Amino acid sequence: MTAQRDAGPASGDLHDDGGRAVRPDRSGLAVATDGVRLGFDVYGSGEPTLVLMPSAPIIHSRQWKGQVPYLSRRYRVVTYDGRGNGRSDRPTDPAAYHDDRFLGDLVTVMDATDTERAVLVGLCVDGVWRAIRLAVEQPERVLGIVAFAVGVPRIASPQPHYVAAFQVWDEELPTTEGWAKLNRHHWERDYADYARFFFEEITSEPHSTKAIEDAVGWALDGSVPAMLAESEAEFPFDLEAIEAICRSVKCPMLLVHGSDDTCQLPARAHRLAELTGAPLVLLEGADHMIPGRHPVKANLLIRDFVESLGGQG
Amino acid sequence: MGRVRTPDRADERATDAASPSTREQTRARYPETAGYVERDGVTVAWEAYGDRGLPIVFVPTWSIVTSRIWKLQIPYFARRHRVLTFDARGNGRSARPTSVEAYDEEEMALDLLAVMDAAAIDRAILVSLSLGAHRSLIATHRAPDRVAGLVFIGPSLPMGRPVPGRDIDFAADLGVDEGWARYNQHSWRRDYAGFLTFFFENCFTESHSTKPIEDALGWGLETDAETLILTDQARGIDHATALAITAGIDRPTLVIQGDEDAITGPSRGLALSRAIPGAELVLLAGGGHIPNARHPVRVNLLIERFARSVASATT
Repeated sequence: MTAQRDAGPASGDLHDDGGRAVRPDRSGLAVATDGVRLGFDVYGSGEPTLVLMPSAPIIHSRQWKGQVPYLSRRYRVVTYDGRGNGRSDRPTDPAAYHDDRFLGDLVTVMDATDTERAVLVGLCVDGVWRAIRLAVEQPERVLGIVAFAVGVPRIASPQPHYVAAFQVWDEELPTTEGWAKLNRHHWERDYADYARFFFEEITSEPHSTKAIEDAVGWALDGSVPAMLAESEAEFPFDLEAIEAICRSVKCPMLLVHGSDDTCQLPARAHRLAELTGAPLVLLEGADHMIPGRHPVKANLLIRDFVESLGGQG
Repeated sequence: MGRVRTPDRADERATDAASPSTREQTRARYPETAGYVERDGVTVAWEAYGDRGLPIVFVPTWSIVTSRIWKLQIPYFARRHRVLTFDARGNGRSARPTSVEAYDEEEMALDLLAVMDAAAIDRAILVSLSLGAHRSLIATHRAPDRVAGLVFIGPSLPMGRPVPGRDIDFAADLGVDEGWARYNQHSWRRDYAGFLTFFFENCFTESHSTKPIEDALGWGLETDAETLILTDQARGIDHATALAITAGIDRPTLVIQGDEDAITGPSRGLALSRAIPGAELVLLAGGGHIPNARHPVRVNLLIERFARSVASATT
């Protein structure tokens, strides 16, 4: 119970992204094993339960605002703010952002919401990789996985702009243009500028102004020290270990990736499909933020996947 | 009546002009029946959807756009009503007559009734947008038995106060291509696409409107400056006629008006709702001139609630 905090759970003063189409039936704070408090919400009462996983600490649970109203009319839906954003605590120790902590948070929230097993829905590394880990480490708790913008580290090349940026992460750069904004010093000076740039880059389809505005707002609900701490967290798996974990997934899985994903190259989705045998839906012209930018498509894919599980729920 | 183009010619021309952005997009729903009516050699293209419920005619607005301005109404209402749309003469698959008289609002209203005949719709709710209010009012005045109710969205009628700055001389060559000075025939000839962009950006003043602006620009480019100049010079309802017609309307009426309408200003919708006995006014907070395209869920639910009350009152 010694987590460092630069802020407690925010008390209802999060960015107003336009009001909610549906209110949670139950909300609360779950306490992780290291004392970090996690804000969660439960919507609806259908079967099975879907856990919509957070992409934290960069944004929080409102990232699923386009999914919750539709899905919660059919299923029970659990969302939570990942550590470092939303109503959750924002520890500033890199150890608090170890991969195992994020996995533990998922278990903590499932326990706190009496969710014995669930379909896990995630986006990028924060959602997809941790869902895979739980499916392998506690298979009895995972009915299936819907993986948007497949972010599994190392299984295929990362976007070159990330590689370049992290090589000079701690350096003072002569420019703040483009991906030079992905830099410790620029974050400390003008994180809002980075957030705007980042979400414009990864939501590059036309007519994305609302999706971008929302995501920037959720990013600014977060904490730069938390983001910096997370960027320094250790990632404990090498390629061999990651591939072995992916091959061990036994539950049904659906991969959904945009052909124009600026954050995760489609090669990662193709590779994960090879490793798991899971079907891959490649959305032509789509970028990274598929659930936010293409909510109807995403919702129908989730629904069809859940229905395909049949009596397994 | 001047020379008219046949529908085939109009199709050909629309295709010629089509860049990728102006080629028709896929539709959520396609019409079950479609056809053309011809009056005085002018052909008008109509489409009908659905087969049940009280019919609704989505009346065309100014020929600056096509009937696709109703694209977010058609799928929803076609599941509940018979839905009829048509392209006003001057755009879409309808003809582009070359005389100003052909665009008289009387002609537009007669097209409306002729299209209802062709689609075998005896009686319908008329839903109009902006300039379409003229056609709806004239048709109601001429054939009240064919109108079950009236919905006006951002009506553009000579009632209430116009938007400040719009008193621009249309005919004189002002040599200026910015702001409302773009509402001028010489400016249209110089920079038609620039006018369209200006106009539609003012139709959609709400944030996050890039898509409806892009759509409307594409529909605007299906016609041209010369055709649009004729439509602007054509005769519509004047103030006295508007007052006379509206005072005699005894049909259920709903006026939907954006309170930030930068094209007609909210005052015209308010004036119309006061002029028609018993009319209901819904003022949309933050709404612009074309809320049916920008706030389709809200507008569809308002229209459907109205349609249900009309249907229950008439059965």
